[in-house]
Amino acid sequence: MTHDLIIIGGGVNGLVTAAYLAKAGLKVLVLEARDTPGGLASSEEFAPGFRCDVAGHDAGWLLPGIATDLGLAAHGLELVVPDATVWSPQPDGRALTLWTDPVKTAGEIGRFSPEDAHAWPAFTAQVARFASILEAVYAVTPPNIPDASGGDLMTLLGLGRRVRGLGRREMTEFLRVPPMSVAEWLDDWFAADALKGAVGAGGITRMLQGPRSGGTAFVLLHHQVGRPAGAVRAAHLVKGGVGNLGRALVAAAKGFGAEIRTTAPVREIVVRDGRVLGVALETGEHLAVPQVVSSIDPRRTLCGLVDASHLDPEFLRAVRNIRYRGAAATVHLALGELPRFTARAADGALRGAITIAPSLDYLERAYDDAKYGAVSRYPYLEARIPTLLDPGLAPAGKHIMTVQVQYAPYHLKASWDAPTRDRVADLVITTLSEYAPKFKASVLHRRVVTPRDLETRFGLTEGHPYHGEMALDQIFFMRPVAGWARYKTPVTGLYLCGSGTHPGGGLAGASGRNAAREIVKERRR
Amino acid sequence: MTTAYDAIIIGAGHNGLVTAAYLARAGRRVLVLERRYRVGGAAVSEEIFPGFTFSVFSYVVSLLRPEIIRDLDLPRHGLEILPLESTVTPMENGDYLAGWGDPDKTRREIYRHSPRDAEAMIEFGRLMHHMAQAVKPIISMVPPDPTSLSPKDLLGLLRLGKRFRDLGPEKFHALYKLMTMSSADYLDEWYETDVLKATKSASGIIGTFLGPRSPGTAYVLLHHYMGEIDGSFRAWGFAKGGTGAISESIAGAARRFGAEIRTDAPVSKVLMKRGRALGVVLENGDELRARTVVSSLDPRQTFLSLVGDEALPDEFTADIKRYKFRGSSGKVNLALGELPNFTCLPGVGPHLRGAISISPSIAYLERAYDDAKYGAFSREPYMDVIIPSMIDPHMAPPGKHVMSIFVQYAPYHLNGGWTDERREAFGDTVIETLTRYAPNLKGAILHRQVITPADIEQITGLTEGNIFQGELALHQLFFLRPAPRWAKYRTPIRRLYQCGSGTHPGGGIMGASGRLAAFQILADGA
Repeated sequence: MTHDLIIIGGGVNGLVTAAYLAKAGLKVLVLEARDTPGGLASSEEFAPGFRCDVAGHDAGWLLPGIATDLGLAAHGLELVVPDATVWSPQPDGRALTLWTDPVKTAGEIGRFSPEDAHAWPAFTAQVARFASILEAVYAVTPPNIPDASGGDLMTLLGLGRRVRGLGRREMTEFLRVPPMSVAEWLDDWFAADALKGAVGAGGITRMLQGPRSGGTAFVLLHHQVGRPAGAVRAAHLVKGGVGNLGRALVAAAKGFGAEIRTTAPVREIVVRDGRVLGVALETGEHLAVPQVVSSIDPRRTLCGLVDASHLDPEFLRAVRNIRYRGAAATVHLALGELPRFTARAADGALRGAITIAPSLDYLERAYDDAKYGAVSRYPYLEARIPTLLDPGLAPAGKHIMTVQVQYAPYHLKASWDAPTRDRVADLVITTLSEYAPKFKASVLHRRVVTPRDLETRFGLTEGHPYHGEMALDQIFFMRPVAGWARYKTPVTGLYLCGSGTHPGGGLAGASGRNAAREIVKERRR
Repeated sequence: MTTAYDAIIIGAGHNGLVTAAYLARAGRRVLVLERRYRVGGAAVSEEIFPGFTFSVFSYVVSLLRPEIIRDLDLPRHGLEILPLESTVTPMENGDYLAGWGDPDKTRREIYRHSPRDAEAMIEFGRLMHHMAQAVKPIISMVPPDPTSLSPKDLLGLLRLGKRFRDLGPEKFHALYKLMTMSSADYLDEWYETDVLKATKSASGIIGTFLGPRSPGTAYVLLHHYMGEIDGSFRAWGFAKGGTGAISESIAGAARRFGAEIRTDAPVSKVLMKRGRALGVVLENGDELRARTVVSSLDPRQTFLSLVGDEALPDEFTADIKRYKFRGSSGKVNLALGELPNFTCLPGVGPHLRGAISISPSIAYLERAYDDAKYGAFSREPYMDVIIPSMIDPHMAPPGKHVMSIFVQYAPYHLNGGWTDERREAFGDTVIETLTRYAPNLKGAILHRQVITPADIEQITGLTEGNIFQGELALHQLFFLRPAPRWAKYRTPIRRLYQCGSGTHPGGGIMGASGRLAAFQILADGA
């Protein structure tokens, strides 16, 4: 045995785990199926001279500790939070801009509703308070609930103290809000449709649920963790494209001594008597190793790579029941010029997410279509123009635009064939043309990435980038499945470290870091 | 003026009557004031058309706490619950799914649709039964306030924690999933037959403004297994004489313990001085004094109308204002010249003695919800139909029948508001939809009564026509019902208590809120 440990999958979480474990002195080998590591944190040229981030530009929240621990800045990682978080054009020709600065935002909102403008700072303050509690929750290994004891009990008491620290009023709110629908929550605060649509869109991120579904208030809060206080729906963009995050992590992991093999797809995790013996590659090569950490999603790991005979049927059933249901597609557009929107955009406003979500009803109707297995006729769109930040991603004077389209469900009644994919691109262009009449003529190239593509190209089950929906029954001590939320699996020596584990998707490397900590702790025992 | 009563109870719905009976039983001098001409609130039987008696609003019973039946000796006061033995769901392809009183027969029926589901049903039933057992004590407990540091609340929380611990991980996790998932997703984990999942989910959407795919609808599945009429697929019962008989029996018990009940006595205000309730003012101007005032009305009625926000802390008023009602159901009561003849099960059979559920698929229910989301009543609504005259022949003249149709969704906030015209259009939609499954129905109708959420509000006083005095959503349950810090039946006004379904545990003809409120009042020495 030449390695202490093998990590399957060289995505963000796999690389973070690898870097931490290598830093702790272990001999780590990362096996990546594709020809480059990085997983979704990779950029590619989709048309001559145009580079895009395959699955979107927001890297998600990177725990500050990870960047310092792994020295990512030294490896070229630079994160940018644009001042504008959302720019949302309206059917009536106006546009709503949300900024990271709540006072500036309140000014914008005042043009839609003075009452809402007045409520905005208090709302963002509440969001920030709740997000900081979640931040603490996300840094711990989930305790065993309901039978917590010893250290678990201390963890729970510690979190409980933080929640109590909110004061009685806000503590009640913290317990009340997460199971609500984002629509109900926002209705309690605001009146303007434009505002509720733009903010409420954060509650359905990658969910096959609409804004009126219970638990979507939690989803909004989840994506607020680690974002600047006072800002709602802010993004962390990677300078030079999200591929730079992947590259920085690769450099860090290698710097600590980890070895990374690409084009090395794993066929099987070899288990005997309930214990890991090693992995078998697709090539037939066997690598003997006592510990394997899988960063790929729980269903593919446990139902795909481990022979079912090694697992309890009840456990397997729980894994099969994890809900993935990819809900969004991405359309990359190469543009000859910047879109000319009818609505006025203040300086820098277009650096935010250009959001087509004029009301909660609009979002809900988009979901209605998806519920019955169709692409939304009037989809919720979130477009970014990364060339505003990095002109080098496109030829001089030209631009790229990356558009998240929701809903474009994995489980489509029709099939994801070429005409359907084309229709998604057409839909994006037609929808945006309503707000920028000459938009169509500016499109030079286009590429559609469907949930099917994410599954085939990146191995993401049902095309879900978070390795499972962030629903209340699939988080914390329930992620990936009840009773197994501590990165261990029923197979001795097999661990999970991907987004399918706590705290889950949309957070860069938080699962991987927690998993690495548990693995190190376990080895010291 | 002397204090004539120890307690005045506003509203003679079932919870108000339960509170009255328990307080009277403890020796308190109790007066119940009812706005309408009869007791019962939404649990009334009325002869709407000559010879035809209807359970006008609430029409089935399963959750009435057995300890209440026992403590108040309700059978002695005329309560007799007849079992509703089956549920039949007609399918769009002409087939049907039936659940019978006999579990073996039900299993054979489900086997016909899916052998796998017939197998799953056994394990599912067992798990649900265990969880229902675990949840029952929570229903009978005054909710502790998790934000409080008082020894009593901490003890309550510890007890709750211990109860969850004692459940063991497997059942606790199952319970947690039930509380947070959608009924469609939860049932997907167990079953494959769409019509079975739809019929089971239907119970999860009753009285809510959510569809079966929305998280927060799964836990109501438990209610099926909490009914005390044991052993059957769907443990619902029907009170002999209609639902009003339940109210009458509780009123009878209250009177026997010495409570006084006045009808046609609408209350206009709670009489207060320096934050303390002194009695009530009737609409006719009479003042009645009591040491304690208890309101069984919903929170909005109680606090915003009878008390008034000027007497309440701003924060509390804000909480009551955001408490959600959003009535979503209506009722159609029919007098029939003959029995309906269902295409899927022609003729007169045992299925007519049970419930007929119009819930052919999850998508059907979900589409019904879609209409309501945007302010229309469902073009093809979910319906729960029973024919009470098949169980209790006294409900209709010989040879004739009454049919009770619970309909969802009929949003209180209908686009343009409810008018006579829209009410009739809603009634037509219901009858046309049902006639598709029982073609002779339309011709068999002698009379019909259509009740919209606006009618429910107007007749019973239930805000926005919500049958549970506020939505049974996770964020409006337990220590949050009706408002944080005021979930223990007390209110910010001293000596004013609340005892309606708008308090924990709320919903359905359960009586648990009324009973717990009485205990709290007695414990406070009020």
